[in-house]
Order: sequence, then C-alpha cells, then structure tokens
Amino acid sequence: MQTQILLVEDDVEAARHILQGLRESGYSAELCSDGREGLLRATAGRYDLLIVDRMLPHLDGLSIVAILRQKGDRTPVLMLSALGTVSDRVDGLRAGGDDYLIKPFAFVELLARVEALLRRHAVEGAAPSALRVGDLELNVLARRVMRAGREIALTAKEFQLLEFLMRRAGQVVTRTMLLEAVWNLHFDPQTNLIDVHMSRLRAAVDRGFDCPLLHTVRGAGYMVREREVAPAGVDLGAATG
Amino acid sequence: MPHRHLHYSTNRLAAIYVGLCALCVGGLLWVGFLFTARALEREVDLVIATELDALKDDYDEGGLQRLVDTLNRRTDSWGRNGAVYLLVDSGNHKIAGNLSGWPGDQRLLNGWIEFDIVARGSGREQDSYHPVRAEIYNLDHYRLLVGTDVSERRQIAARLRDTTLWGIALAALLSAAIGWWYSRRVAARVRVVAQTCEKIISDDLTQRLPQAGSHDEFDQLAAAVNHMLDRIEQQTTAVRATFNSAAHDLRSPLHRMRVRLESAFRRPGIDPTARAALDAAVDDLERVQRTLATLLQIAQADSPAALAGEEPVDLAELGQELGELYDPEARERGLELTVQTRGPANVSGNRQLLAQLLANLLENAIKYVPAGGHIGLTVEGDTRLASLTVSDNGPGIPQHAREPVLQPFQRWEDSASRESSGSGLGLSLVAAVVRMHRGRLALSDNDPGLVVRCEFPLAQKAAA
Repeated sequence: MQTQILLVEDDVEAARHILQGLRESGYSAELCSDGREGLLRATAGRYDLLIVDRMLPHLDGLSIVAILRQKGDRTPVLMLSALGTVSDRVDGLRAGGDDYLIKPFAFVELLARVEALLRRHAVEGAAPSALRVGDLELNVLARRVMRAGREIALTAKEFQLLEFLMRRAGQVVTRTMLLEAVWNLHFDPQTNLIDVHMSRLRAAVDRGFDCPLLHTVRGAGYMVREREVAPAGVDLGAATG
Repeated sequence: MPHRHLHYSTNRLAAIYVGLCALCVGGLLWVGFLFTARALEREVDLVIATELDALKDDYDEGGLQRLVDTLNRRTDSWGRNGAVYLLVDSGNHKIAGNLSGWPGDQRLLNGWIEFDIVARGSGREQDSYHPVRAEIYNLDHYRLLVGTDVSERRQIAARLRDTTLWGIALAALLSAAIGWWYSRRVAARVRVVAQTCEKIISDDLTQRLPQAGSHDEFDQLAAAVNHMLDRIEQQTTAVRATFNSAAHDLRSPLHRMRVRLESAFRRPGIDPTARAALDAAVDDLERVQRTLATLLQIAQADSPAALAGEEPVDLAELGQELGELYDPEARERGLELTVQTRGPANVSGNRQLLAQLLANLLENAIKYVPAGGHIGLTVEGDTRLASLTVSDNGPGIPQHAREPVLQPFQRWEDSASRESSGSGLGLSLVAAVVRMHRGRLALSDNDPGLVVRCEFPLAQKAAA
C-alpha cells in the first residue's frame, strides 16, 4: 500500500506544489488548510506521516501535535514554520514534533526528512549494532569499520558520519541533517563544510575500490548505496572519488 | 589610592563643605577668643591708667610726701589685689613701693612695659614668677611705675585659648564625620541608581528603578529615568515587532517563490537555459533567506526574552568541536587551525547561538586569511570569566574600522572584494550573541592579523 501523508498548511499555493512533489516521489499526499480540520483528520489515524505548519487558522500546529501526543498517537510529525529562531525550533520539538523545517526550504530537504522519519518509524526499537552495505561493515559496539575484510581507520566524527549514513542506506541524507545529527548544530554553515568532511570520509571508505558506496546526490546531499540507482524524485550526480 | 575617592563628586562636595564649615566655626571661635583676651588686657590697662592718674593728682597737690604716703598705704593690705608700685629718684634709688628694684630698661621715662617679678616663697613654698604689666610715668626728677600682676588673667586667657582650640578641633572633626556620613549616604543612593540602570540596560529593559516614596531628588531622578526607560522600551518593542512581522511576512512569499521555482525545475523536458536561470534564482533566494534568518537571529538575541531557555554550555568543549568541524576546511585552504583550551569554561547560555558565534568567527578567518596563514582558537576559564579568542595572521582590520564592522551590513574592505564576501552580518551577529550572554567583545591587533576576544561571566554554580 502507498504511504499516506497528510499536509496541514494554510498557504494553499505553496502546499499545492509540495503535494505535487510528494506525489511525484511516490507518496499519496492529501492537503488540509485548517488547523481544527487537520486535527480531526489526523486523529482518524490512517496516515503514516503528518507535515504540519506551525501557524494555522483555528488551531495552531504546536497544539495539534501536543493534542495528538496526549492521545498517545505516535504518528511521526514534521513541523514546518516561518519561525526560524533557535527557541522556535526547541518549542516545536518539545511539543512533540519529530523534526522541524524552516521555511523557505528546498524540496529535497523536505523529501529527505520525510523519508528519514518514515524509515525511523518503521524500524523503531530495532537499531542493529552491526550495519552492512555491500562489502562495507560497521560495528557500532566495537567501533570498527571493515571493507572487503580490510580494516578502515576513521576518526570519531567520521565514524559517526558513516554510521548515520549507513543506518539510512538508500536514503538521501542532506548536509543539514548531517550537521544536526553528528554535530548537534542547527545552523546553515556558509561554506562547504560538510562536503570537505564527506570527501575525507569518501577517501577513507571508497579509495582503492571499484565500486563506490558513498554517493553525492546532486542538489540534495549524500547517500550510501550499493548500486548506483537513484530513488524516485532525485538525481544522482556523478560520484566523485 | 586615597585620591581616587576625590573623583566622586559627592565626596568632593562633602570635602569642600566640611572644609568650609570647619573654617567658619574655627574662625568664629578664634575671633571670640581674641576679643575676650583683648578685653581682659584692656581692663588691666584701664585700672592702671586710672590709678596712675590719681597718683599724679596726689603728687601735683601734695608733692612727693603725699605720693609716698599714698603708695605706702596702698602697698599694705588695703591695696588692690596684685598691684605693683615703685617710685624711684633720678639715681634709680627706690623711694617707695613694693618692688625691690627697677625692672627692665633703666632709662625708660614713659610708656608700657611688661616684666616678671619673683615672689619669694616663705618656708617650704617655692619662688614663683608672675608676669606684670605696668605703666611708667615721669614726675619731674622721679619716675613712677604702676602695674598689675596679670598671671591670673594670663592663665584665664591661656585656658580660653586652649578651650577655643579644642572647640575648633571638635567642630572640624564633627563636620568631617557628618560630611563623610552624608557623602556615603548620597554616594550609596547614587550607586544604587547607577547599578540598577546598568542592570536594566544589560539584562532586562522591563525592570524599573525603585522609588522610596519620599519624593526627594532621588525619587524624582528615579521617576525621570523610569520614564526614559519606558520610552526606550516602547521604541525597541515597536521596532522589534515591526521587524519581526516584516521578516515573517517576507518568509511566506519567499517560500512560495522557492516552491514554485523548484516545481518548475522538476518539470520534465525543461531546456538548459531555463534550468540555469532557475538555478541562479534559487541561489539568490537562498542568500536572501540566509540574510533574513541572520537578521531575525540578531533581533532575537537583543530581545529581553532571548536567554529564556538558558542551559550550561562548556565553551572549551564547544571550541574543540567547532575546531574539529572547521579543521578540514581550513586545511583545504592551506591554513593551519589550532585549538587550545585551558580549564573548563562553563557559561550559561544558548549552545546553538554560541556555536553560531564560533562558526562565524572561524568562517571569517578562513575567508580572509590567505593560504599559509594560521588561525588560533583559544578558550580559557578562570575563577571569574570564560574567554574565547580567535586570532589569525591575516590582513586584520584597521583600528578605525573595528567599531563599525560590528554594525550590520558593514564591511571594512574595499568594494572590489565585496562580491565574494558574505552578508556582512557575521560580526554583528557575534556582537549580538555576546551582548545576549552579558559578555564583552573586543577586536584588537595581532600584528599582523586580527584578534577577536569574547569574555563571558561564568555560570553560577547550581545551589546545592
């Protein structure tokens, strides 16, 4: 069955484009432009993911999430907001949102986070300590990385980066997601910070192997994947080694 | 440093007041003393002059014999207390009187003299010296001396002088004490006002100065300052509200614009020229969005509620992390980035904003320092302060441009290199974050290069 997403957003014009993008990416998406109606439809419980804008007519996004969580509804929620300061984000996550995206955002960023939330929800409770993609193995407990039986030496941050990517093998991971997850930083670096770290990681993991595993997804971010096949909706750029 | 205290105007005022007061009281007492002493002397002179006149009359009327009789009578117990007489002939031989010999200058014919007489002690009593004031008068071949033992009066005068001096000292001491107390009291109230103002400006613009309710000058001052603070608060609130709503209102159309552009971008079969144009438009949009976000962040950092969600942050740890984050990029650009931390530097604040501050400083250095240069990040914590210093050996910022670069949209370099630089908000965000954390920011010369030093108060130890 197709994944069901409910978008609660009062900016209908913007929402229409997002809806279209989600559908092109293979999701079944519906729109609701009123807060109270959004809560009613979300409680009906047939959605896999909610994308909720923070400022809505009749009932704001924070209240919707808070009410859902109070009822024990654990459907993943991605909050959207034009309020972009640090405390706004904290408020959004504290209310029960699983992720927080500030407008305006790139569609690929939204898509990557939607995918991450859906997968996380699917594998909740089962976080394997040994990860494997192709001939690359990562043991979380032993903090060891092996490729084709050969040990790869990584710094602590490189290990964290690789672990984050391998847990999401086959998914696009954006630079912002990496900065948030590995460094716990919620800001936009003005330089190509993450790219430099990734090229170091790639040099360690892929150099000397025929089949690259770390891929750059043009205009979006990175992906760890065995075969070079793009998921729906994103371009796979030429992997640079 | 005793002089330092004179710099405070209340102390100076009190010192002047005390000095004047002591001078007035002292002068008054001294003048009183002088008049009294003078009056005592004149009384003596008057008595002597009167008696001398009477003796002259005796001589004029009854000749030498009558004068001698009068003098002999007077030197008996009938005479006035402490009276001294002496009548001598032209050979200075005593004719009558109670002095053994002519005192002082033997030839003096007329006028006033002062001398000491010795009263011979009888039995075990010791000899005693007595000051005498006397007038001399020449009668034909004789000379007459009439005087008074003034020792008692002199003693009274001396006692009076001592009393006066004590009085002056006491008055000076008392006024000094009052002045000290008064100036302390005034200075303390002024200090309270100044400290409260300082606190209000740096911490919370919604606070106000307390008023004692006594309607004195200090209450009036507090009322005036509070009124001023009301105005400032109103204005900043209005400006912030306008700015916030403007920024938020801009976000929705920007969002719509971006979504539309990307939607067009995804359309299959779009031609490469249009694709490039869309790409460039999205890039521009991103830049606008970033500037807006930074402006909002600056505005938020300056708002009273900025530090509402304070948490403990170890600057040393944060410095290490950010150093690690930027190290590969610095190396990529041929720069050496070293991080040094000394001691824990726990401050209370917002980790994200402090990280942003560090990131801005490091990005700035990476952007401006030419290849082969060095960037140093030092975090130090002592008992009072945590300091964070980013230094480089790049081009630096000339002295006159250091203050302006902290203002939004100010860059010091010539316009030629503007194209490549950022929004011009980096350092003003740094300044705002420092302000928000009640810290101090200083830009200085590294000879060559720039040193940016941020100091923060240490986090208060949680009460056990």
